[in-house]
This record gives sequence, C-alpha cells and structure tokens, in this order.
Amino acid sequence: MRALGGWTRALLGLLVAILLTLPVVVKSSFAIDICIRILMFSFIGVAWNLMGGYAKQLSLGHVAFFGLGAYTSTLLQIDAGISPWIGMLAGGVVAVIASLPIGWLCFRLRGPYFTIATIATAQVLMLIFLKFRDFAWGAEGTTIPNLGNAPLMMQFESKAAYYYIALGLLAIALAITYRIERSWLGYYLVAIGEDEDAAEAIGVNAPRVKRDIYMISAFLTAMAGTFYTQYIYFIDPATAFNFSISIEAALVSIVGGIGTLWGPVIGTVLLETTSTLLQSWLGSSTGGVQLTVYSLILMTVILWRPTGLIGVATEAYQRLVRRKPVQA
Amino acid sequence: MAEALVVRNLSKRFGGLRAVQDVSFSVKENETMALIGPNGAGKTTSFNLITGYYRPDSGSVSAFGRELVGLRPHSVCALGLARTFQVAKPFGAMTVLANVMTGAFLRDKHVDTAAAKAREAIDFVGLSAKIDSPARDLTTIDQRRLEMARALATEPRLLLLDEVMAGLNPSEIDQAVALVEKLSQRGLTIVIVEHVMRAIMAVARHIVVLDHGQKIAEGAPKDIVSNPDVIRAYLGSGYAQSPTTEIGSA
Repeated sequence: MRALGGWTRALLGLLVAILLTLPVVVKSSFAIDICIRILMFSFIGVAWNLMGGYAKQLSLGHVAFFGLGAYTSTLLQIDAGISPWIGMLAGGVVAVIASLPIGWLCFRLRGPYFTIATIATAQVLMLIFLKFRDFAWGAEGTTIPNLGNAPLMMQFESKAAYYYIALGLLAIALAITYRIERSWLGYYLVAIGEDEDAAEAIGVNAPRVKRDIYMISAFLTAMAGTFYTQYIYFIDPATAFNFSISIEAALVSIVGGIGTLWGPVIGTVLLETTSTLLQSWLGSSTGGVQLTVYSLILMTVILWRPTGLIGVATEAYQRLVRRKPVQA
Repeated sequence: MAEALVVRNLSKRFGGLRAVQDVSFSVKENETMALIGPNGAGKTTSFNLITGYYRPDSGSVSAFGRELVGLRPHSVCALGLARTFQVAKPFGAMTVLANVMTGAFLRDKHVDTAAAKAREAIDFVGLSAKIDSPARDLTTIDQRRLEMARALATEPRLLLLDEVMAGLNPSEIDQAVALVEKLSQRGLTIVIVEHVMRAIMAVARHIVVLDHGQKIAEGAPKDIVSNPDVIRAYLGSGYAQSPTTEIGSA
C-alpha cells in the first residue's frame, strides 16, 4: 500500500490544527452550532457510507439506529441515572442487536426492494415509540434534565465541548473506514456492491459480510443519536426517528462521493453550508424559496458530478501538489 | 484415477420446464471434460446446481468426496471449485489487480500476500499489461482472462468454465485454448461448457452431451462427433464435412 505522501501528511496536519483551534477562534454560538451539525452529519454519513457506499446497500432507514441510540441512552439516564457516555455504548449495542433481525429481513431483498424494506423498519420503530407511552413518553417526548456543567453526564455549558465530541466521533469513524478500506473487508464490500453473485463465486460469504458491516454501521449511527439528544436536551419519536436523517446520511455520501473515505465529509460541508446560507438569505422571503433553490443546487451537482464531488476535490488537490493523477 | 466430481441423478425444474432431468456424469482428477449441447439444454443450469447457485430438486453432487448440495456458492468455492460466468462479471469499479486480490483473500487475508498471489495469477492468464486498468475498460477476451485469474486466485482444484470462448475471434480462440491447456497442465481438473467445437476437440478428453435437460451421449470426442443422436440434436449433418464452425450462438 502507498504510504501517505509528505504533502498529504502536511495538509492533514493543517486540517486537524484548524479543526482543533476553531472553537477557540470562532465565538459565535450560531457558527459553532453549524460546525457541530456538519461534524455530526459527516459522522452519520461516514457510518452510512461503510454499508451504503462501499457495499452499495442503499439503506434509507439508518435513522432506526440513530433513534435506538438516542432512546437507549436517554432511558438509561432518566430511569436509572446512568451516564450517557455509557448509554452511548449501550445504544450502540442495542443498535447492533437490532441490526441482526432487520438485516436478516432486508438483506433477502436486493436493490430498491432492500431500500424500501429499510424505510419500513425505521417507520415501524418510530410507531412503536409513538404508541407505547408507558415505555418511553409517547408522542410528547421528554426533556433531558439540565445538570449545568456535568462532563460525566455529557452535559456542558460551552458549545465547544460538544464540538470536540462530534469531532472525536468523526475521527473514530474515519479511522475505522480507513482501516476497512485497506483490508480484505474493503475489497469484499466493493465486490459485493459490484456483483454479489460474482463475489460469492470467489468465496465471499456475502450475507455474513453484509451483516457484519451493517452491525458496525448501526453501532456508529446509534452513537450519533445519543450525542444529538444530549446536545439538544430533548427527545421525541418525531425527532429521534426523523426520516430526513436517513435521507441526509445517504445524500451527503452520494453528493460527496459514494464509497470513498472523505466523500460524506465533503458532501456534508457542501449541503449543510448551502442550506444554512440559503436559510439566512432567503428564509424570510416567500415560504419555501430556499428549499427550491437548495433542490436546484442539489440537482445541478448530481447532474454535473454523478460520482460525487470527491473527484473535483481530488483533481484540485493534485493540481495543488503538482502530481500526476494517481489511478483510483 | 480418483473422481474429482461426481454428479448423480441431478434434476431441476423451473415451473413446468424441466431444465435438468436425471443427469449423471463424473470427472476424473486432472481430466478436462466438456459439457455441450444446444442452447437451453441445461448446461449453465448444471453449473449453477453444482456451484450452489440453485438447489437441485433431487440428486447429488460431490467433489473430492464432499457432498455439495445445500452448500452456498462461497462454501463450494472454499472446497476448491471455482467457476466463471457465461456473461463475464468483472467488478467494474475495481482495477484488475483488486479484482483478483478479492479472490486471493479466500485463502489469505493479508493484503501483501494476496497481492503477490494475484500478480502471479494475472501473469499466468497474460493480463499483466492491464494490471492497473479498471476492469470495466477491458475487452471481451481480457474480461474472460480476468475471470479466470480471479478464479485461479482462490486456489481451486476444479475449474468450471462457462462459455469462456463465446464472442471471441479465431485467433483469440487459439489463445483461449492455449490457456485452458496450460491450466490443465498445472494439474487442474476442468469442466468446460462451450459451443466452439474446434476448441472442445482440442482440449476435452471426455464429452457429455445434453439436450432438453437430459444426457443424450457421453464419451471420447471422436465417438461423440459421429454419434447420430448428437448430430441430430446439436451438431447438424453438415458437421461431419466441416468441423470448424461455431455451433449455435453465444
């Protein structure tokens, strides 16, 4: 495998330095909030991309795991006083366990049928939390008791702390993806995404590989659920199982570059920034204008670069370091 | 010599269609056997039944003494049976090297050893010049080479080749025949489904003829080409005069 070049190292170091000092420099709570959203959705996108991108199993039901993570840590915190730090891992475990029957059901289907099945399972989970009010507060949801500055309970007075947690989560997900991409598992995932029958013919146990990557993806997505609930101090089924989270997880990866390490991050930066800027410029004019413009931009990007913006970024980067393009 | 593959009374129906009916044959170790017959005779179905893509309605398949019925394709491959597909199925987005490495990971999960094994297999099939090309850019014959390299990388003992010569021009067929002979010299047992009679006569020691899902003849190539049933069902009466043409279509 090719070792990281000097330029890549330097740029990566610079990026890390900027990301680490950002909350010190940027004091606007609004700006930090956008950064936190970008980091969190990048994290969810990277988690989704492991399965949806590399293995091309287009799930639009990842919010199921987000919601399970959110509810597990909240229930543990409110009913048993257990720290969300532990709850976050417990939520991951619950999501992994849930991914087994969901995967067992959905992976029997391929292509669009798989996608529809994942949507359905996420909706069913939302309905469960909506209808069984004794179990988890039903439709009205609940607020997380505010303990002030309580790092051990994942509560902080400064937004910078949330920023660093989200940054840490993203770093973990990127490191996991980096390792998988370069191992046999990465090859197996891409092979399954390209042609499952051909992969089976050369000894790839496709059901098991898909199950395993689904578990990893579910665990990470659930961590985001816990984080988000702690960040907004509120949970209800409509927020925790919001279909738009499933969409965004897939969309940031598709726009940024499906099945690539940095694709979801690039996609999130573009989509979140665009949506926030449009909101502040056009949000006060006729209702819906900003969404229309947003959709137009989205369509343009997808038509212009169907394989994702990562290609543009790679080319720009290679021009920058004046290297011959390497083969993908 | 020991039997590498034994197929007994294999049957498979799809609705009202009897795709394979009560077919039995066996292949000895290090032998090259050809499965021939008109389109729809059940050749590819037989491959799919042997390699676990379809489950037979009845009958048994065993390879190197192990029963294969009920196993999934990846387990069949792990037992040493590798196959290629009638329509090549390269992993288009991957390079040739990455394609073949994916096969090599079956026996060794280390990236470096898999890459070394993959290079060897790519070299063997004569695809080294294209090693870093994306598989989707390959020509038809190179895609077939890639499929063979990928199958070889799984270290098979038995190779099932499904119409690897379809769509190739005469000189490419010669290259493919040479490659199959090279594989055989390497000690591999080969089952080949093919329409190109010239190629079959060159490589096969034993031929099984299927028609409408049933075995209608079996034997040495010279006996098969003069068998009246085979001529009627498949070769056509013109074959005796000019046995060089491709029979049927791809």
